[in-house]
Amino acid sequence: MFQIRVCDEIIMNACRHLLRIQCAECISHFLTPVKRGIFPGGPYLHQQTVSLQQSQVLRSFHCSAVCFTRQQDQKEAKEASECETQNKDRTLVTHQDIFEQAAKNSKTKGNFNRVVDVFTKNDIRRRGHVEFIYAALKQMQDFGVEQDITVYNKLLDVFPKEVFVPRNFIQRMFNHYPRQQECGVQLLEQMENYGIMPNVETKVLLAQVFGKKSHPMRKYQRIMYWFPKFKHTNPYPIPQVLPSDPIDLARFSLSRIASDPDAKITIYQYQTTDITETGEEVLRPYIVGIQSPEQRSLLAKHNHCRPVFVEGPFPLWLRKTCVHYYLLRADSIPPEEKIKKEYNPEWIGPEQSLFYPHRVELDLERDLGDDDSFDVDDVEEGPVYAMCMAGQGDETTLAQWISDLQETCPTLGQIPTVFRLESGPGELQTSSDVQQSPEQEFETVHIIEDAPLYSERVKL
Amino acid sequence: MALPRTTFKTLFGIPRVIYRQPLLFPSTSTSSGILSTRGAYERDYRRPGQAPDTRWPWQKIRFDFSKGVEGIRKHFGLLTDEFVNRFTGPEGKPLINHMLEQTQVQWEFRGPESLNQWIVSSDQEIGGRSGAYIKLGRNNTTCFLYGMLCSTAPRDGETRYSGYCTIRSKQPLGSFDRKKHYDWSTFNTLHMRIRGDGRPWMVNISAETYFSHQRDDIYSYFLYTRGGPYWQDFVTIPFSKFFLSSRGRIQDDQHALWLDKVNSIGFTLGDKADGPFQLEIDFIALCNDHAHTEEFAYELYKRNPEV
Repeated sequence: MFQIRVCDEIIMNACRHLLRIQCAECISHFLTPVKRGIFPGGPYLHQQTVSLQQSQVLRSFHCSAVCFTRQQDQKEAKEASECETQNKDRTLVTHQDIFEQAAKNSKTKGNFNRVVDVFTKNDIRRRGHVEFIYAALKQMQDFGVEQDITVYNKLLDVFPKEVFVPRNFIQRMFNHYPRQQECGVQLLEQMENYGIMPNVETKVLLAQVFGKKSHPMRKYQRIMYWFPKFKHTNPYPIPQVLPSDPIDLARFSLSRIASDPDAKITIYQYQTTDITETGEEVLRPYIVGIQSPEQRSLLAKHNHCRPVFVEGPFPLWLRKTCVHYYLLRADSIPPEEKIKKEYNPEWIGPEQSLFYPHRVELDLERDLGDDDSFDVDDVEEGPVYAMCMAGQGDETTLAQWISDLQETCPTLGQIPTVFRLESGPGELQTSSDVQQSPEQEFETVHIIEDAPLYSERVKL
Repeated sequence: MALPRTTFKTLFGIPRVIYRQPLLFPSTSTSSGILSTRGAYERDYRRPGQAPDTRWPWQKIRFDFSKGVEGIRKHFGLLTDEFVNRFTGPEGKPLINHMLEQTQVQWEFRGPESLNQWIVSSDQEIGGRSGAYIKLGRNNTTCFLYGMLCSTAPRDGETRYSGYCTIRSKQPLGSFDRKKHYDWSTFNTLHMRIRGDGRPWMVNISAETYFSHQRDDIYSYFLYTRGGPYWQDFVTIPFSKFFLSSRGRIQDDQHALWLDKVNSIGFTLGDKADGPFQLEIDFIALCNDHAHTEEFAYELYKRNPEV
C-alpha cells in the first residue's frame, strides 16, 4: 500500500520532485564528506531496481540518514500508531503524552529515539511536527539526552525537507513559515544553552529544511562564530565529566584551589569500614589533604601561644557539582608580633664603603608616571596552613586529619586547635574578629584545649 | 513588603537586605527612575500578570518636608564640592597626579558606606526564587556577595529562563541629580582582586549611549573564579575583549567599548548550578597595560556572522 501511495504521489507531483532532486543535489555539494550521510542508500541505489530507487530517493527527502527505515522500526511504528489511534478515539492526544507513555518503561535515549521514529514514520506529511518538536525539547532533560548532538539532529530531521525553503525574493523578504523557523531557532537555542556545538550535519539539515539564509541558519552561524571564541577562555578549566571516584575528585579540586604547583597531596585515609569489638560497623571516611612547602614552613614558624583553627566546610563549585573543603588556618598576625625584615647592621653601618655599598636605597622607578601599583590598603588575613577534603565533616574525622598532619609538622601538637565547623556551608572569611557574631558561632565552636592529646595518640 | 524582609532576616541572619523593589506589590520606592535603565517616561519591566501602574507621574513623587531639607543639604554640598575641587585639579585630584597616573582604584570596600554605591538584584524581579545579598567582609575591608541561586523559571506562562543574581554599581550623580560618567579613556585594562567559589561570573559594563533604543546595550566578558581560600590577585580583563550584547543576546554588529562615558559596572551570575554562591571583591581598579595594544578582539570588518 505504501508503494502505491508513493507511486501516486510521484505521478501527481512529478515536476515538484524533479525540482526537489535538483535542490538536493545542490545541497549535497555543501560538503562532500557528509554526502554519504544525507543519502544513506547511496551504495544500495545502484544495485536495486528503479522503482525501489524512486522510493529511496523520495524517502531521503523526507527523512535523511538519521532515521533510515528498518524492518523492526516499522513494526514498532505500526504498534505505536495503533496505540495512538486507540487513544484518539477517546481524547485529544498531545505530543507530551506520547513521551510520557514512552517514559513509562524507562527514560533512555533509545526510548526517546523510538518516539521520534514513530512520529516520523507515522505520517509522511509530518502533521503537527512543530508541536512535536516543542514537546520533545521539553522532555529532553528528563530523558537525559540534552547533551547529545545526534538527538538534536534527529529532532531537526523531523522537519519536512524543502517545504519551508523560500523560492522567490518575496518569500525571502517576508518571514517565510515563521512558526517553523521559530521552532528551529528554539531548538538551536536549547543546544546553545546546554553548550553543545552544532556539527556539519546540523548545518546540512538546516539548509535542507529552511534554506541558506533563514533565521535558524543565522542562529547556527552565530553559534559557530561565538562558541569557538569562548571555548578556552577559562584559565582554570574543569573537565566535562568529573572523576567519579571521590578521592580523585578531591585530588582534582584540592590541586585546583591550592594554586601552587609544588603543593603535595597526601591521602591520609581511604574509605574503609571497620568492625568494632561490639560488632558495630564504623565507617572511616576518606581524608585527602594538600600542603605546600611554603605552608609547611609557615606552620613551623607559628607562635605556639596562638591557636590554629579548623574551619569549614567551604563550598567549591566544579561546573554543577559542589564539593566542600576544610582549612587549617590561623588568625592574622597582630602588628606588634610581626617580624620586620632586619638588615645586617654591617651592611648599613657607617664603616661601609661609600663607593661600593652593600645596600642601596634608591627608588629605581623608570619614570614619573611608571608607578603601576594600586593605591589600596592590603586586606589583612591569617595564613592558611593546610587544606583537606573528607568524606564526613565531623570533628573526629578532622581531628584524625590534624593528628596525621603532625607527622610532618611536629610543632602542631603543641598548638591549641580550635574546631569551627558549621553544619551549613560557611563563608570564606578570616577569623580575626570572633566577637562580631558571638551568637552564631557559640553553638558550633568546640574548643579543645588538650591539644597535646593528639600527639600522645600519635605516639600510641 | 514587611513579610519578605523579615523572613530573609530569619533565614540568613543578616541585618542588611538590599533589593530593588518588591514584586506584585504597589511600588513604594521613588528611586527606581534613576536606578533602572528606563527613562522617566518609559515603563519598567512589568511581569506577566502584574497589574499596570495606572498612577499619574506626580502621584509617584513623595512630597515630604524632611526629604526636601535633606535634598537641599546634599545637593548644595555636592555643588560646593564641585566648585572647590575645580581649583585643586580635574576631579579633585592634583593635575600632576591626573596626568601621570597609570592606575586608578575605582571602587574599594573600606567601610559600610561603600556598599551604598551598589545595587543588588536577583531574578526575584521576574518572579524567580534566587536571592542575593551583600555585606561587608568580616574584617570590614571587602565586599561579600552571597546568596542562593535557583534557576526554576517562574510559572507565569511567558518567562522561559530564570536564575540570575546581579550586583551593579550605581550611576554616579552630580549635584541636583545630574548624570555623571566615569572617564576611563586613559586606561585599557580592568583590574580586580576577587575570591570566589569556582563559579563563572560575567562582568558587564554599560556605557552612555546616544539613542534611547541602545539603553540595554552592555559590554560583557567572563570572570572565572578559582575557588579556595586564596585571593585571585591579578584578575585583569582588557577592555578590548568586552563584547556587545543587548538584552542577553550577543549582537552581530560588534563595536569596541567607548570608555569616555561609562555608567556602571556589574557582575552577574547565571551558570544554572542551583545552590549557594559567594563572591568576595576587594577592589576594582583600572590600569594601563602597556603591553596590551589590541583595540578590539573581535572582527569589525564584517558582520558576525557574515550576511
